[in-house]
Amino acid sequence: MTNVQNPISFSVNGKPVSTREAADTPLLWFIRDNVGLTGTKFGCGIGMCGACTVHVGGRALRSCVTPISAVDGGEVTTIEGLSSNASHPVQKAWSEMQVPQCGYCQSGQIMQAVTLLSDFPEPTDEIIDAVMAGNLCRCMTYPRIRAAVKRAAAIAKEAQTHG
Amino acid sequence: MRGNHRNTRNALFVVAAVSAAVAAGFVGYGWKPEILDAPSPTGAFTQELVARGEVLAGAGYCGVCHTSDPAKPYAGGRGLVTQFGTIFPTNITPDPATGMGSWSRSAFARAMREGVSRDGSHLFPAFPYDHFALLSDEDIDALYAYFMTRTPVRQVNQDNTLPFPLSIRFLQTGWKLLFFRPPEPENAILQTAEARGRYLVDGIAHCGACHTPRNALGAEIAWRAMDGADIDGWTAPALNGNTPSPTGWSTSDFYNYLRTGSSRLHGTAAGPMSPVVHQGLAKLPDDDIQAISQYLVTFGGGSSALQEAAEQRSLEQDAAQSASPLATLGERLYVTACATCHFNAGEEVADARPALGLNSALSLEKPDNLLHAVLEGVSAEDGKPGVAMPAFRTMTDRDLAEIAKYLRSTRTDLPPWTDLEERVARIRSAGAAHD
Amino acid sequence: MARIGDVRHSAGNLTRRSFLIAASGAVAAFGFANYASGSMALPSGDEIVPEKTFEPTIWYSIDGNGVVEVNIIRAEMGQHVGTSLARIIADELEVSWDQVRITHVDSAAKWGLMVTGGSWSVSQTWPIFSKAGAAGRQALIERGAELLGVPEAECRAREGKVVSGDRSIDYGTIVKSGIVRTYTSDQLAAMPTKPVEERRLIGRPVRALDIPPKIDGSARYGIDARIEGMVYARPVLPPTRYGSKVVTVDDSDARGVKGYIRSIVLDDSTDTVPGWVMAIGETYVAAMRAADQLRVTWNAGPTNEVSEKDLQDHGAALIAEGKVGSILDTGNTNTEAVFGRAEHIIERTYTNATALHFQLEPTNALAFEKDGIFEIHTGNQWQSLILPTLAKALSRPEETVVLKTYMLGGGFGRRLNGDYAVPAALTAKALNAPVKMILTREDDCRFDSVRSPAVQTLRMALDPNKKVVAMEHHAAAGWPTEVLAPFFMPKGANGIPFDPFSINGADHWYEVGAQKVRAISNDLARATFRPGWLRSVGPGWTNWALESFMDEAAHDVGADPVEFRIGLLKGTGRNAGSAPNSVGGALRQANVLRTVAERAGWGNPLPDGHGLGVATSFGQEREMPTWVACVAHVSVDRATGNVKVERLTSVIDAGTIVDPGGALAQAEGATLWGASLALFEGTRFENGQVADRNLDTYTPLRIADTPPLDISFVDSREAPTGLGEPPTTVVGPAIANAIFAASGARLRHIPITAEAVKEAIQP
Ligand code: FES
Ligand code: FES
Repeated sequence: MTNVQNPISFSVNGKPVSTREAADTPLLWFIRDNVGLTGTKFGCGIGMCGACTVHVGGRALRSCVTPISAVDGGEVTTIEGLSSNASHPVQKAWSEMQVPQCGYCQSGQIMQAVTLLSDFPEPTDEIIDAVMAGNLCRCMTYPRIRAAVKRAAAIAKEAQTHG
Repeated sequence: MRGNHRNTRNALFVVAAVSAAVAAGFVGYGWKPEILDAPSPTGAFTQELVARGEVLAGAGYCGVCHTSDPAKPYAGGRGLVTQFGTIFPTNITPDPATGMGSWSRSAFARAMREGVSRDGSHLFPAFPYDHFALLSDEDIDALYAYFMTRTPVRQVNQDNTLPFPLSIRFLQTGWKLLFFRPPEPENAILQTAEARGRYLVDGIAHCGACHTPRNALGAEIAWRAMDGADIDGWTAPALNGNTPSPTGWSTSDFYNYLRTGSSRLHGTAAGPMSPVVHQGLAKLPDDDIQAISQYLVTFGGGSSALQEAAEQRSLEQDAAQSASPLATLGERLYVTACATCHFNAGEEVADARPALGLNSALSLEKPDNLLHAVLEGVSAEDGKPGVAMPAFRTMTDRDLAEIAKYLRSTRTDLPPWTDLEERVARIRSAGAAHD
Repeated sequence: MARIGDVRHSAGNLTRRSFLIAASGAVAAFGFANYASGSMALPSGDEIVPEKTFEPTIWYSIDGNGVVEVNIIRAEMGQHVGTSLARIIADELEVSWDQVRITHVDSAAKWGLMVTGGSWSVSQTWPIFSKAGAAGRQALIERGAELLGVPEAECRAREGKVVSGDRSIDYGTIVKSGIVRTYTSDQLAAMPTKPVEERRLIGRPVRALDIPPKIDGSARYGIDARIEGMVYARPVLPPTRYGSKVVTVDDSDARGVKGYIRSIVLDDSTDTVPGWVMAIGETYVAAMRAADQLRVTWNAGPTNEVSEKDLQDHGAALIAEGKVGSILDTGNTNTEAVFGRAEHIIERTYTNATALHFQLEPTNALAFEKDGIFEIHTGNQWQSLILPTLAKALSRPEETVVLKTYMLGGGFGRRLNGDYAVPAALTAKALNAPVKMILTREDDCRFDSVRSPAVQTLRMALDPNKKVVAMEHHAAAGWPTEVLAPFFMPKGANGIPFDPFSINGADHWYEVGAQKVRAISNDLARATFRPGWLRSVGPGWTNWALESFMDEAAHDVGADPVEFRIGLLKGTGRNAGSAPNSVGGALRQANVLRTVAERAGWGNPLPDGHGLGVATSFGQEREMPTWVACVAHVSVDRATGNVKVERLTSVIDAGTIVDPGGALAQAEGATLWGASLALFEGTRFENGQVADRNLDTYTPLRIADTPPLDISFVDSREAPTGLGEPPTTVVGPAIANAIFAASGARLRHIPITAEAVKEAIQP
């Protein structure tokens, strides 16, 4: 249990932050309202839509149900910090496949897809479905998400063989 | 019937014995003198000795119990809730008035080995002197040196809340008479890693204090060593042949788990086990962790032959999950809220995707470990460092109960858990009271 | 028949706007700064606007660098509307795509009717934007020829330049030289547009301008709006949507929440949010938590015990009462006589559950007064509708209230109803400070403008030759338009007004002889909740009933369901269609039906337990038909009743496709919405409120449930019609019909559950 007298400290996109906000403040609102990064979205607040997905230690995490105390000492990455100029293979694939519609879920989809590819570099439809099932897209861009995840895998592989 | 009968008889025996102890007073046995010799001057301790003491203090989790405010290490701990009442670990900084500043080396050694305070009063066995008795003279010296060189903090010890007559420390005499079989200090040079492991596990690391069940009066039941026990609302799973882990423990599983806080197949160290790894064993050298692992595996919880089969089974179970309209509420919730991080596919379980099908939390008699993890999450400091699990408190009791039910029924062949919703509610409110 | 198209015409006659062609002051393009700012511009960035610009119409301007800034009055909610619309101008204007920027403007009287819905955007804007683009091209050629010193006839426009032989002058230079030209509205109306062969952007693939910021997190939605000094609010919602009165508010527990400021009982003269109490906090977390701790007691409104069954029973009772409702003008509504002497009559009743919008961004608004103007920063689909209500609630003139435009995290019709702007505005007024109100997901669902549950009874009369001689379609539901925009309600043949959005689709293009279409407002629904327009609106459920019924009728007379329908789509009389939008009429519907049957392998043998089902539709409105047909391939597990959609094949004729990528995306989304509403989502009223309020029990389709899609468009040069909704309407009935083909189970209620299928399977 984190002691309220001590500040909670972690990094967001490489920049250190330290706060005395209540330990049970959801990370999502801390990122949006205190840090001022709004790419991470609020959809359901119960961990079931994925709009609020960020990375902590490189792993996708639903920030709406994660108290800031849980990331004390950790490294948080949001969509804004994923890459410069949207150059991550997943973002490139998302652009190529023109995935977003309203776009509201897409920060979360992209962050989730990045973790997916780090665990499963050559994902099948079954794997994509299982790992992305927690990310709701109300615009139902699912066919394009499937295609884009595979395209991202190919882009990453190309980069590896050439790099 | 027979079992019941025997239990009743045991209980009667215990009560009778305790009464006898009280009646007779055990003056001769129980009375201990105050030790008045002067403490050693701090200048007498070598750097090396202090450093060794620091490692041992870590491995004994002294700070975990004896510290409540991180700014005042060892100045007294947060209450330990036991079945008998709340016990407050004392100030062990070298403050002369409120801490151990006036303790001599021999007073310290007596406390560690016999559970008797400097003033002659008996300590409660929440302090694991029954394990520390095994420590070599040198290790006692090192620990003494370490504590006597800490920053003294003036902080008066809090009173325990044990009800009368348990609060009478003198009665501990009876307890000791019945249950305390102190091991001889291990001063010999240990030849094998396994022997070193035993020394650490049974001694300073006092693993059995949590993992060995205790009898009605709170003493470890020797013949059920490492058979699993309840602690702080969690279950410390069995580490012997009764391990609930479907995949068993290999030496390397133990090593990874104890060294890093997680192992690929067993998941992460959460709850009360987390500080054991991250604050306790962290300072022990790799060799010692290896030694501990080699010793733990001798309890019979290892069955590497089963590992591959269990892993395959778990992968198949994951492949079968579905979010189809047919899915039960629990399955659909699991697939949409949990599988995103826990789903595994391919040849083997991925390193950072704890496979719940292999996690002992699902195979324990009680769902509490699972529910704690789901309700409270795992912070970046716990489990696998830098990685966190959310706290799904925002889900309803019913939703969480359904998820637990679904997992139990699809990932194990064990009988269903009962009263799930009530348990969720109980653990939820206990957690809220903690905050 | 007086139809919605006519109302639209008079309410927002964009073509009547006089085009001014004159040099004008700079049009400010606001990049999105960190704080609440002006309009939403894409791509964003701090561009310096050169002093001289050419603003041929209010719809766009060209600057001295030749950059074209197109003003978009439609909401961006995922349809890439700015991209589609700007391409119409860019194509006619002859500029390359990388010279185009778009600005989503704020509500201001000059833009006329600001509404995004009904899949109207492209269809309505097409004639205006193509003529506006052509006028600009004409003016630039005139001036360019003058500058080049050559006759105008020798010049043409290409790629942002006026070209004559091997000489050319670019638009930027022309603009810098000064350009003034005026056209009368008659001249504009007569302005020739390019021949189809010369189109360079329309119909070609494009990267949507709104996508890059949606990939790097920089897109700004209403929920992201902020201004210095704002406080946060979350409502505590009363037990009923209407009629609840606050009795007491006890905030002693809320005061224990760190950052809690106070609570406010809203006083709303417009009765938009009666009984709402606002919890105010320094942070949203504080407001959110304090709202949970506020103890409010109400005198509940009269509907606090209404259940889903009550609503459905009431609808059925209204249908049974022959006299109520509005009868649409279908040419011959005298069905009684035909039914009276019919050889054979088929009658069935279909129902659908209450459905939530569940747009992923919960409703929110930032409100504050600044320099005498009350600003509301939020994503909205129908600014013109809520402005008068806001003005009344705030008791100030309409001109002093402005809605600022943001991206929408999903619209689907939820944000046509701007009710959520009212509590934010009232709170800001009460506090005299900027207020940011955000509803939690549960709040948002509780008072969503839900799609009404509906009951529909269909009847068909057949003569001895099994020829259809009459048909009736009676539909009862809560009417959104009656509550929110009654001025949009035309009168039926019996003089009673009706909500076109709650009956469209029932007035189909089949030739059935006498035809009665009766629309009934479910007054209990209207009293219990605020009915909403939900993606595909009326046809989302009228077509569910109609196309299920056509299937039952086909089976009843022993006909093939495809052939049966084609036999009725003759394209004569009122079903022949007319210019501009419905040229070809029912024959185009027959065409998509035939094509989809072919593509889906209609009639080919399938494994046991599998089946194909078909459905077709003309989309939203007879005046703007989008012809769609879908074949669903499903498999049914007879033991469990579980249905798996194996594939959905759709063929769509929406006339000219302006933006093929965007069109396909819209069709994919709409098709999957259809599947979701048929199999996955639905809720019910319990004690006057919806029972499902978050994703644990409200379960829209997810990626794992997504079947393979085969969607194709008919190659057409006809006027473009809508795409965002029509493909939704066919999927539900196609799935139900496929379930019947696979298992013999006939389902007459959506969403279809496994239990219902199991029950309906004949043992
Ligand atoms: S907002 Fe966090 S998962 Fe939905
Ligand atoms: S793009 Fe709109 S919710 Fe996914």
